[in-house]
Amino acid sequence: MSWVTRDAPRADELSSCIQCGLCLPSCPTFRLTGLETASPRGRLTAMSAVAAGRPVDSRFEEIMGACLQCRACEVVCPSFVPFGRAMEGARAEIAAQTSGVDRRLRRLVTARLLRSRMAVRLGTLAASIAQSSRLDRLAPGRIRGTVAGLRSLKGRPRSIVGRTRAAQGEKRGVAALLAGCVMDAWFGDVHTATVELLAAAGWEVVSPRGQTCCGALAAHDGWADDTRKMASVNMEAFRGMDLVVVNSAGCGAHMKEYDHWVDGGEELATRVADANEVVAEAIADGRLPRLSADGDRVAVQDPCHLRHVQRITDQPRAVLAAAGLTVVEIDPDGRCCGAAGIYSLLEPDMSRRLGSSKAEQVQATGALLVASANPGCEMQLRTYLSELGHTARVAHPVELYWEALQRAEGRAAVR
Amino acid sequence: MQPSPELELELRHRLGDEQVASDPLDLYVFGKDAGLVRGEPGLVVFPRNTDEVATIMRLAGRHGVPVVPRGSGTGLAGGAVTTGPHVLLVTTRMNRIGLVDVENRCVWVQPGVINLDLSIHTTPFGLHYAPDPSSQSVCTIGGNVANNSGGPHCLAEGTTVNHVLAMEIVTPDGDILQVGGPAPDPIGLDVRGLMVGSEGTLGIVTDVLVNLLPNPPASRTILLAFSEVEHAAATVSGIIANGLIPAALEMMDQPMTIAVERFANAGFPTEAAAVLIAEVTGHPSAVDAEAELVRRLGASHRATLIRVASDEAERKRIWLGRKSAFGAIAQMNPDYYLHDTVVPRTRLVEAIEQTYAISERHGIPMLNVFHAGDGNLHPLMSFDASIPGVMERVDAAGKDLIEACVAIGGSLSGEHGIGMEKRDYMHLVFDEMDLDAQARIREAFDPGRRLNPGKIVPQGSRCFDFGRPPPVGAWV
Repeated sequence: MSWVTRDAPRADELSSCIQCGLCLPSCPTFRLTGLETASPRGRLTAMSAVAAGRPVDSRFEEIMGACLQCRACEVVCPSFVPFGRAMEGARAEIAAQTSGVDRRLRRLVTARLLRSRMAVRLGTLAASIAQSSRLDRLAPGRIRGTVAGLRSLKGRPRSIVGRTRAAQGEKRGVAALLAGCVMDAWFGDVHTATVELLAAAGWEVVSPRGQTCCGALAAHDGWADDTRKMASVNMEAFRGMDLVVVNSAGCGAHMKEYDHWVDGGEELATRVADANEVVAEAIADGRLPRLSADGDRVAVQDPCHLRHVQRITDQPRAVLAAAGLTVVEIDPDGRCCGAAGIYSLLEPDMSRRLGSSKAEQVQATGALLVASANPGCEMQLRTYLSELGHTARVAHPVELYWEALQRAEGRAAVR
Repeated sequence: MQPSPELELELRHRLGDEQVASDPLDLYVFGKDAGLVRGEPGLVVFPRNTDEVATIMRLAGRHGVPVVPRGSGTGLAGGAVTTGPHVLLVTTRMNRIGLVDVENRCVWVQPGVINLDLSIHTTPFGLHYAPDPSSQSVCTIGGNVANNSGGPHCLAEGTTVNHVLAMEIVTPDGDILQVGGPAPDPIGLDVRGLMVGSEGTLGIVTDVLVNLLPNPPASRTILLAFSEVEHAAATVSGIIANGLIPAALEMMDQPMTIAVERFANAGFPTEAAAVLIAEVTGHPSAVDAEAELVRRLGASHRATLIRVASDEAERKRIWLGRKSAFGAIAQMNPDYYLHDTVVPRTRLVEAIEQTYAISERHGIPMLNVFHAGDGNLHPLMSFDASIPGVMERVDAAGKDLIEACVAIGGSLSGEHGIGMEKRDYMHLVFDEMDLDAQARIREAFDPGRRLNPGKIVPQGSRCFDFGRPPPVGAWV
């Protein structure tokens, strides 16, 4: 028996690849290894082999597991192969057909703990104690990088769930902000900036109770039933909202694809927007100001799920330019930084090579500010920049704009 | 012969486990290139340098197992697909670009270097590597050498053979030789010229000294549309007849244009029967005059649209569309079969009409995209191989197509190579004596038939195979 779940790569998805190979150079793992088996085309061929009757064995698991799911291949594919969907299907098959302690642990983390606000809070507390006591340096190898990439957890704002913020000026509608799992616990300042800017742009902001983790990490790791549950919960929580704003690129990309998992997903996708999109639109409309240049340079990093999945590249640059910053590019191809959700924990060697080379690219720009619109990328960049001894600050584009706006308003008030 | 466990162990010992793959799933994945034929290797190896290639050749030779070289696997004729459980030698890890010799405009590159990466690497020196196959963002220099690859810009600048100065090769016995040299015309027998296009049947290329050309100071890319294919073809002939050799002169018919426009959004007019892309390069004052000539000739042949790309972004979109043609076809059907025939430029219209007639006769949709300036046709058949009987119709249509092109004075292949796919059509253009001569050249390099067996030369080509001596006056 080859496939056993309803989520398996479909025959039409696999046959849409004609093996032209144009995807190969866009794939970070092919670039590093030169292996067909570490390329999008090779992975689809391996899926086709299983569809034709080969077993889901440990080699298949390795080949699928080496994929970052960065989806750079989709952008260059002239046949529009839905690679990300097929890979999520292959991962779902592996999850269904294999067992073991590590699998159970992975499910526990991506599909259970992230859904539990209490669990995330406890984890955050532990990390915060480790940070302040410097015990974080003793973390075991695999998670040390992740811990090192954390923002300072001291004095972070409280959860935004259940909070509301009235619109300023003429009201455009109700915007719901996805609290998210780690965004809410570790990136409170990004939430604050997003809420304030949405309100300033005319949105009434809410972050409804009843929402949960978006489910992206569970989907990428193959926990299909859990993914469906999380998607259903959020569909309900965000019903009736005019706009669902997401400030984590990976979460936004996943929510724009809820139709892979639940009925009604297409409709929700029309209301989901990345925070960069909403803020850039408000700047373009004149609802938010363009601030005068202050001469600081910012290196912009494109999270894969913003650039390749949501196809958003101009907006973060527009937001940063409106913050008065000079945008510098670090990589014309937008290659993955190697964070890729829990990939950095599962495939540490590959992740390290990608993270180091991305950090070197940032260092080469000489910029002391780096903008990244995804929490995983931000942590990865911080980890490898600090390894290089480069002291650049890494922050969300919307956060940088909000800070610049506050500074400008502060100056105006003094005057 | 199947690789023995001893051969695998020796290779693992000498090269390291990371450089050898033998899991059945790996062998399956490496069992294909971008074409249709499948053939699983017995073992896959990933050498990192010339010495490792020599080691592989010696060990495989000792065990009597043939070796087949492979780059990125974008070939369309099965040249890098094994015809038995052979050792597949993948060159992608040999991807070092040497120091660019700016004064002499050349550079040594390993075979696994991606074509476009080379030109990107030499951009700061104002130089580029001229052959630009549609797969240039993926395909390797080694594969280009093996197939004497061309590309849209080979009309004015020539194919791979015109851009390779020297190479290092490893023989079937594992000896390392250098052929050619920095001089454009080597003394003695031009073995270098013989190697280019030999599809890995004469030796494994492990380093290539390629010629680099200065980037043109200016270029104009002109998009022309026509309501009749004949008008487009007449424009092509008119341009060449007027003494202009554009850097590229490409044509797409309507079904192809519709498919690529969906992906590239290059502004191709999807209602036109044919679209021409002409590119002229050179001095700024010259390109404007040449673009004007193209415009005038297009207008005189009733072009319905003539547009000069206004900036580099628009130019890039036009080329992205043209170069993604093969991939875009999967929007219609899951399988394709891309032909690569050549006809005299003056008989393009006839060849296209034949294509449509053959398409109709066999019920296989065909889309056309071609290097019009060279008369190099790329009819693409689009089909679903899983439907019973379809493959037979595809084969029959392919045979008719090749025969039709040869009948009007054309050839089997422009630039994709013969490989396995067209091997058995070789007799359409070569007689027994010709094939015997080719088989003997091959035998001189590889008497044990240990390099890419079953490719290019059909079995039984060697007159010796029939027990007859070669007749006097055979083609050499």
